[in-house]
Formats: sequence, structure tokens, C-alpha cells
Amino acid sequence: MAIAPEVPKERHALGLPMKRKEDPRLIQGRGRFVDDIVLPNMLYMALVHSPYPHARIVKIDKTAALAVPGVKAVLTAEDLAGAGLAWIPTFHGYDKQMVLAVGKVLYQYQEVAGVIATSREAAHDAAELVDVEYEPLDPVVDPFISKTDKTILRDDRENKTNHIYHWEVGHRAETDAALASSEVHIKERVVFQRCHPAPLEPCGVIADMNPATGRLTMYLTSQAPHAHRTVVSLVTGIPEDKIHIISPDLGGGFGNKVPVYPGYVVATVASVVLGVPVKWIETRTENLTTTGFARDYHMDVEIGATKAGKITALKVATVADHGAFDAAADPTKYPAGLFGIVTGSYDFPTAFTELDAYFTNKAPGGVAYRCSFRVTEASFAIERGMELLARELKMDPADLRMLNFVKKEQFPYPSPLGFIYDSGDYHLTLQKALDTVEYKALRQEQAEKRARGELMGIGISTFTEAVGAGPSKHFDIMGIKMFDSAEIRIHPTGSGIVRAGTKSQGQGHETTWAQIVAEELGLDPQNLLVEEGDTDTAPYGLGTYASRSTPVAGAALAMAARRVREKAHKIAAHVLEVADADIEWKDYKFQVKGVPEKSITMKEIAFAAYTNPVPGSEAGLEAVYYYDPPNLTFPHGAYIAVVDVDKETGETHVRRFLAVDDCGTVINPMIVEGQIHGGLTEGFAIAFMQEIIYDESGNNLNTNFTDYLVPTALETPSWETGSTCTPSPHHPIGAKGVGESPNVGSPAAFVNAVMDALSPLGITHIDMPLSRSKVWTAIQAAKK
Amino acid sequence: MNLEYKGQEVVPVPKDKVWAFINDPSKIASCVPDVISSNIRDPHNFDAVVGVAVGPVRGKFTFKISLDPQPDGSHMNMKISGGGFGSVVDLLATSEVKDNGDSTTTLDWSATASMRGPVATVGGRVIDTQAQRVISQTFANVKSQLSATATA
Repeated sequence: MAIAPEVPKERHALGLPMKRKEDPRLIQGRGRFVDDIVLPNMLYMALVHSPYPHARIVKIDKTAALAVPGVKAVLTAEDLAGAGLAWIPTFHGYDKQMVLAVGKVLYQYQEVAGVIATSREAAHDAAELVDVEYEPLDPVVDPFISKTDKTILRDDRENKTNHIYHWEVGHRAETDAALASSEVHIKERVVFQRCHPAPLEPCGVIADMNPATGRLTMYLTSQAPHAHRTVVSLVTGIPEDKIHIISPDLGGGFGNKVPVYPGYVVATVASVVLGVPVKWIETRTENLTTTGFARDYHMDVEIGATKAGKITALKVATVADHGAFDAAADPTKYPAGLFGIVTGSYDFPTAFTELDAYFTNKAPGGVAYRCSFRVTEASFAIERGMELLARELKMDPADLRMLNFVKKEQFPYPSPLGFIYDSGDYHLTLQKALDTVEYKALRQEQAEKRARGELMGIGISTFTEAVGAGPSKHFDIMGIKMFDSAEIRIHPTGSGIVRAGTKSQGQGHETTWAQIVAEELGLDPQNLLVEEGDTDTAPYGLGTYASRSTPVAGAALAMAARRVREKAHKIAAHVLEVADADIEWKDYKFQVKGVPEKSITMKEIAFAAYTNPVPGSEAGLEAVYYYDPPNLTFPHGAYIAVVDVDKETGETHVRRFLAVDDCGTVINPMIVEGQIHGGLTEGFAIAFMQEIIYDESGNNLNTNFTDYLVPTALETPSWETGSTCTPSPHHPIGAKGVGESPNVGSPAAFVNAVMDALSPLGITHIDMPLSRSKVWTAIQAAKK
Repeated sequence: MNLEYKGQEVVPVPKDKVWAFINDPSKIASCVPDVISSNIRDPHNFDAVVGVAVGPVRGKFTFKISLDPQPDGSHMNMKISGGGFGSVVDLLATSEVKDNGDSTTTLDWSATASMRGPVATVGGRVIDTQAQRVISQTFANVKSQLSATATA
């Protein structure tokens, strides 16, 4: 089957703003999350965490904890070692991580013991009584101090260094030469702070090892249930057929529910040991302090250009803080993810980027928080860099971008760092954004305000993402290729069930997957049940993260539907008593060519598939498709933020924010708009409020929602959206994915706007989050 | 987080009485505010369970306290370590006892505390004043108990 976008003019289901099928359940409290599930004889687990960021464990005394009524077991690393589970491999398999502290703790709040009891209260009370004697060691919290190797944090590793890896791509010598000979040159250290996805539902599990059947069922907060099943099998040795993972409704994930966490492993061991189900649900503090954080990239950005503003070269050198273990969630061959997208939407003649990662006494992680692997970091670096270059050149930042964009006739565009961009029209998208906000009038207003001493700023971000991992020749996780899958079964009465290897965490797959299949088959999307997250029923897939669901599973769904349609074609010919060649699929039904009144609908064909099958052919109407994408997809957008900064308080008021997104073919514009609103709100939080800060002693200072702020409706700006559409040429329906674009593109727009506002004071850069106090301090310093 | 405190009390009793008082674990234990129970292990070591309320953090801390009188008979070092609900506090206090020559004694004290866990993070904004209160109250209690013996 040839893969080419099929874009009919009049849509049946695709592109329509259908209300989300999952919402009546979710908004009426009828969802079913892991913590809603209660099994007979179930026990509860609480974890003991280290108050020290770096210490040797001298002794663990379980006596007092075991004496608490209802406590059934207290597990430590020693107990796990018996099962071969004291350590587990990290995400990509290049490092290993402790499940419970083995001899030493490496970050504050690290898991030290698990207490299992008949009630959650008893488990937590007893966890406080586990007496752990520590011998404190000096913590290393700064990656630039870690780099010196004065204190080696991981004495379990063969190489006695805190340096984890060096990664580079591009043309070093050529880039250095081009930068050295450039007429204009900017260089800035841009830090993307440590932040956290903080899904409202924290992580959790019920591990249920049935001693009679030998089968382990895990109700798990998992964005990738099949991958987790395989990992559990590889790590525990339990045959994969004896593992059943069910990921029920999820209350957000944003990359946080991709890794395997110690709590899952300890609960599983506890269930095996005790022979009953064991539930573990994280507290908010546990979620913020121990599970996958995001970013913590310190990026030195250099751009060269001519005096006329034509860019000549880009170099980005990054120091990455990975915390205590190298548990960054990236595909095996991409230790720094897709950071190579750092040339962004611009046609750099040459570029080079390198990255060095270090251990510190901080929680491990580095998940793709609402972005394709490290694409947010890269987009922030280039969009800040272009803004600084515009300032250096005294050129309008919109003009600088227009001058240097990859042109639409250059697609497919080979970037200097190795990607082949599929499609786009960057000039059109930015022009649409400029026209919509009335950019010239805004600049005029800004000039008038500046004359009065008021601080108004306009910030632009024109990002390009690389999403939809990915083609099997490049992308795998622990060897498993990053394809995805779909299965469609059409029932005799024309309704059906659609299953995919992805797992919605709020993205609306129950609706959009039904729309894709309905569009391909001319069926009613309301009568196509979408099921995901159960490894016993769904086809094998790598899950939902990195904006891969629509580019990969969405394509698998369209292709599976086309397989159904191929079989339906034969049934149509049989029922209409004409040759296959005389039938065509037109206006969402099969017609005899040239005789439109002689036609048959898919619903009628479905009935025939079970009541009047083609002689010599199988009955039924179903198909499975495993889709291996030929390339990534490259959504892009042009975002404009307009802000006013109060000189006296440092407070930023985001007056306007426009997001013009191009995600190719849109499946459901209402869901896309919702995704953009959500992503912009998270981007706003990162730009202005959120950071996981460690003090010099290694204390995590943002352990709850009073210290790690989540924006409410009160402070969230009102969003304006717009769109352009350049379909992906290699995706069956031309879709590219959009859920992460607003989180990738918006931080730079916010920061560029604030820096633009502060430019009359000579301030060029402040690292996020741009809190009132930081901005105020910078204004005071600039006045001196 | 690391915090530092210091203060001074002038006690209306002679130096030897002050020195004897601060060498007695049971007397020192009785001066710590909000003590729920204490257990004297030996002449230099005792345990104390103290009620703590720092912002949203409320509960009991168990401290191990050891007294380390210096041979000069004028300096007393005190090490306090312990914690509760996943938090750890390590405190080092030093006091110097000076005879003022008029049957009064000056007690100069300083302390450095390092705190980790929820007490440092959740209570970060309020812990400083709380710790200041506990430590200065302890020395103020030393003064008032000794003053009571002077008037008795």
C-alpha cells in the first residue's frame, strides 16, 4: 500500500470539532484511576526517604516499624538483592539505578525502605519509625563542581568520574572557522532550569502476583504499558505472558509516567513475597522529589552573522545535570535526545553542537516533559539566540527571522545537524501571526510607551519541532523499535472496536482515534469504541510521549483502516455483483463506477462480512497494522507574546499571547485548541513560576505545590490561537502532532518579550523563571 | 540549609554555679522548651523528645544531645542531632562562661544548625525564627532557673 496523504475536500469525521467522548465519564467522576481500584486482601505500601542528599547508610533498624499494628513487612535493598532487584537498568540501559538505597544515598528523598501494612495510615506511620543511621557526606549539587571530579559520586561504576558521556553532532572545525570570521557574533549562557512535569495524578501501582496462576497483574500509571511489560519481564525474569499491565485512566503524564520507578519494583516484590496485592500511590512530595524531572541544561549559544543579518554558523555547547543516575528518557542512540533540532527554523550554512552530562546529588531523570526528547531545550536555545542576535544587529527580530528562515521550496530540507525536515512554510506562519497581532501597531505603541519610560515588550518564537519517534532504523528503546500499532474490528452492525499501542493521559485518543478510523471507513465515530492501555488486548506499541501518538499510531490507525477498506472493497463487489475493478470508494461508500445510485455503505458491508462473505474468503472485517514511520514529522509555529513589566515591582503582565501552529492535517480542531491552551499554560508556568531548586546543602526546596507553583485561572493569560497547514508528505493523513508544540515554543516567546521590555535598561538575559524578585533585582542592578 | 545564632545572658549567680548547672544533663533538658520527655543516658549524654511545629510540619523530634565540657572550665560545647518525619537537624552550640567579678556571670552562646528534609523545605520560610526562638529560649531558661536559685 502506498503511503500518501489523502485529503478529501468534504470531511466525514476528520477535521470536525467533535466533543470528546471521554469527557462525560471524566467530568462526572466516573473515571477509573489506579487509586480508585481496590482489590480483595490488598495491602498498602509507604516508602522511607533519605533526608540526606549524600550519605553512607550505617544501619537500618526495622524493629519499631515492624511493631506497628498492621505492618506486614519492611523491605530494604538487602531484601531486594535476594530477588536480584537491588539495581535495575535505567531507561536506555546505559546506566543502572538503585531501587532502594544500596549502602549509600545519592540524593535527598531517595527511597531507602518500603513498609507494607494493612492500611495506608499504618504504612506511613511505620515508615517514620524505620530507624536509619546515616553518615553524612558532602553533597555535590552543581554540575560545574561535579565536573572537577573532586568528589566521585558513583563509586559503584567502573569509571571513577562524574562525567557520564560526551555527545556531539555537526561540523566543529567549519563552525569554529565560520564563527571566527563572522562580522557579527553573539554568545550567551542560556539555562533551561530544572522543572517537573507534576501531573495532577501522581504515580502509583497495584502489583498483584497471583500465587495460584503465577501471573502478575500491574495496574500502573504508565504512558507505555507494553514497553513496561517487556522491561518488567527482562528485569524480573517473569515470562512476558505471565505479566499483565493495565494502565487505566491517567490524570496527566507529560513524560513523568514513562520511566520505571522504585515504588513499582518494591510493590511488586512485596506482592510476590506476601502473595496479595500491594498498592503504592505517591504523595505529591514524592512525585516532585523523586520521579523524573525535566531539563537542567546549561547551554552556551553562539551565533555568527553578516552585518546585513544573514546567519553564518551556530554552535551550542551544553552541560547537562542528570542527577544521581543517568535515567534520562531518550532513545538508545540519542543520549541527548533530538537536541540536534537546535538549528530550528533557520537555514544555517553550518552548525555544531556538543553536550557533556554529569552526575550530581539530585534526583535522577531528564524526561521529555511535554516535548519530543530535548526539543524544548533546543528550541529555547535557538529562539533566545536569534533574539540576542537581532538586538546585537539592531534589527527587528521578525525581519531577522524572515531573512533566515528555511524557504518552503527547500523542503524536504536537510539540516546541518542531520535531520530531513518534511514540510513547512515558515514565512507564511510568521506573517499570519504578525498580521493577526498587528505587529507594526504594537511596535508603534511600544515606542510611545518607551518615550514615557514604560516597559512594554514583544517576544517572538518561531520554532520547529522534530516529533513522532520514530523510524526503526534510528529509533529504539532498549532495542525495541519505536513503531506503533493499531487493530480495528468492525462488528456485524457497523460499529466497532479500535485498539492502539498508545495510551492517552488526557489527549483525547478515544475521540481522535475514532475520527481517523471513521474518516477512512465512512462509519460513525460515536460507534467506534477506542481501547488502550491493556497489554492483554491492545496490539504492541511503544506508548504515548514525544508527540508520537498521531504521527505513529495515528498513521497505523489510518493504514489498518485502509486494510479493512481493501477487504470491504471485495465484499462490495461481491454484494453488488460486479468485478472488483468496477467498484470505487467515493463519498464514503463503495459505488459502481459511473452508477452512483448503485452503492453500498460500510455499515451494510459489515453485515455482509458476517452474513454473506465472499466465497473462498475469510469472514469478518478486521485488520492490524504496525506502522514504521519513514521519517519524523516537523510541526512548527509562530508565537508572539506582548507583555508589560512593572518597573517598581518587577511583575510581568502578559497582555496578549498569540500561537499560530502548523501541525499539518488537524484531526479535531477543538482538541487541538485545548492541547494548545494546556501547553501554553505549562510554558507560562515554566517561564514565570517553576523551578526545582536545590540549596547548597542539597535540600530540595520545591517539594509541594506551595513551593512549586501550578498556575490557576487567576494568573493564566487569555490565549489567542491560529493555524496554517502544510501536511506531512509522508504521513497517511498528513498529520504531524501538536500536543507539545505550545510547551516547546512558548517559553522563549515569554522570555524574549520580557527581555525586549527590559532592553532600554540594557538588560539582555535573565534565566527562567522570570519571577518578580528576579526581574526586580535585575532592574535595580541595571539602574546602578 | 545552614543557620547561625548567637546571644548573651547575664546570670545573677557566681560562675561555678553556672558551670555546674550547664554540666548537668537533667538541668539542661529541663530548659529546652516544649520537651515532652527526656532520658539521661550518662553524665554527658541524654535524649529528648521535643514537640515541633514549623509551618505545616507538626510532630515530635527525637534528639540525641551530648555535652562536651572543655578542660578550661569555661567553655561548653553541645552537640544536638536528631529529627523526625524524614527531617534531620544537626546543631552545634558553644557557650562561654565568664566571671564578671561581682557574683554575676556572663553566658555567651552561639550555635550553628543545619537542617534537611521537610523541616528545611516546607518550613524554610518560618524555620529561622522558630529555631531562634527555641535556642534563645533554652538559654533564657538557663538564666531564669539559675536566677531562681539566687533569690531562693
